[in-house]
Amino acid sequence: MSEKPKKLSTFDSMEEYLQEIEALANELMESAFPEGPSWNTESCCLNALSNVFITPREVIVTADLPNVEVETVKVEVIDENRIEIIAKMKKKVSFSDLGVCHRNGEFSSLRCQGRVHVGINSEKMKISYKEGILEVRFPRKNPHEIE
Amino acid sequence: MGEILLSEAIKIIEKKTIPSEATMIIGLPDVGLVGLIATSYIISELNLEEIAYMESDLLPPVVVLHNGLPHAPLRMYGNQNLIAVISELAVPAPAIYKIMWEIVNWAKEKKVKRIVSMGGIPLENRQTIKEPEVFGAASKQKLLDMLKKSGMKTMNEGYIVGAQALSMRYSLSKNVSAIAILAQSFYNYPDPQAAAIALKELSKISDIKVDVTKLLERGEEIRLKARDIMKRTQQEMNRMQKSQEYDLPLYV
Repeated sequence: MSEKPKKLSTFDSMEEYLQEIEALANELMESAFPEGPSWNTESCCLNALSNVFITPREVIVTADLPNVEVETVKVEVIDENRIEIIAKMKKKVSFSDLGVCHRNGEFSSLRCQGRVHVGINSEKMKISYKEGILEVRFPRKNPHEIE
Repeated sequence: MGEILLSEAIKIIEKKTIPSEATMIIGLPDVGLVGLIATSYIISELNLEEIAYMESDLLPPVVVLHNGLPHAPLRMYGNQNLIAVISELAVPAPAIYKIMWEIVNWAKEKKVKRIVSMGGIPLENRQTIKEPEVFGAASKQKLLDMLKKSGMKTMNEGYIVGAQALSMRYSLSKNVSAIAILAQSFYNYPDPQAAAIALKELSKISDIKVDVTKLLERGEEIRLKARDIMKRTQQEMNRMQKSQEYDLPLYV
């Protein structure tokens, strides 16, 4: 059996301890909130893949929206830190279109929600759509401003 | 001794005669699923047969059903001069070392002529680029010269992380010729266009020629179907610190 290496300092032990807590917390979160499917037959929506990037001046949300009618894209700021994007697809897609025959359901929209943990100015959002990717840019609220 | 330990948990079960002196294409789920999309397309266009599969308790207990029949998620297809390796599940980050070691080891055993690892290079502003560029990397100077001669741009400085990195590293240590063909792509959105462009470049350096028209036509459908595997692949890419591919290497 190999000898356990000696700790260098109290900071090393603390760091190790914090890492253990973080790993445990992640594990608990994963088991408490198992991932759901990437579709919802009740709302007839497929979940779209999305990203949120936070830069010093902007919050940029992108979403992969293939097969959608661009004019139906809706971007909604649900509350202070949640954005929803929804768009109608050019044609409905069923499970059988995706090669699955043991489920029933048809989907007419792509939808996603993004969480933003900084203040944004939703009135000044700019939207663009290129190569099937929607990009929404929000200017950040000045973090030093006292409201 | 080390090799035996590494291989303990993994077995490659051969179903058919494995060709020797073949080119081995590896397309495991990664950036933009470029390698997986490209390699799956080769398999269907060339009508390759399933010739082997990987059995390992390092992989999740998953079986994939196609036409009602079970298949191992990580499997090999082939014909007389080609072996194509794909995985229909995101390879867990901690398992990638042993899995790539075993694949390269098997390739060496089967005397493959060359390993070609297909993949993507993440590009932040990918949607603003009409035609992604393709870059090559090689395990030997001779191969690198061959790529340059065929007109392919090469990745002179930078990091490669994940399956392609290990296929290159292990090929180097086992003296197997290896190439990586990497197309600029979305990081975590499936990118069939990048896969099509990578396939065009592959045709310039090999006799693997496939018409990519159907792949481009089916692009939107593939993007819808690939959402789940892309999501799971992203989780594994985060674990293996894939974002290091954006870093600049320091070699003074």
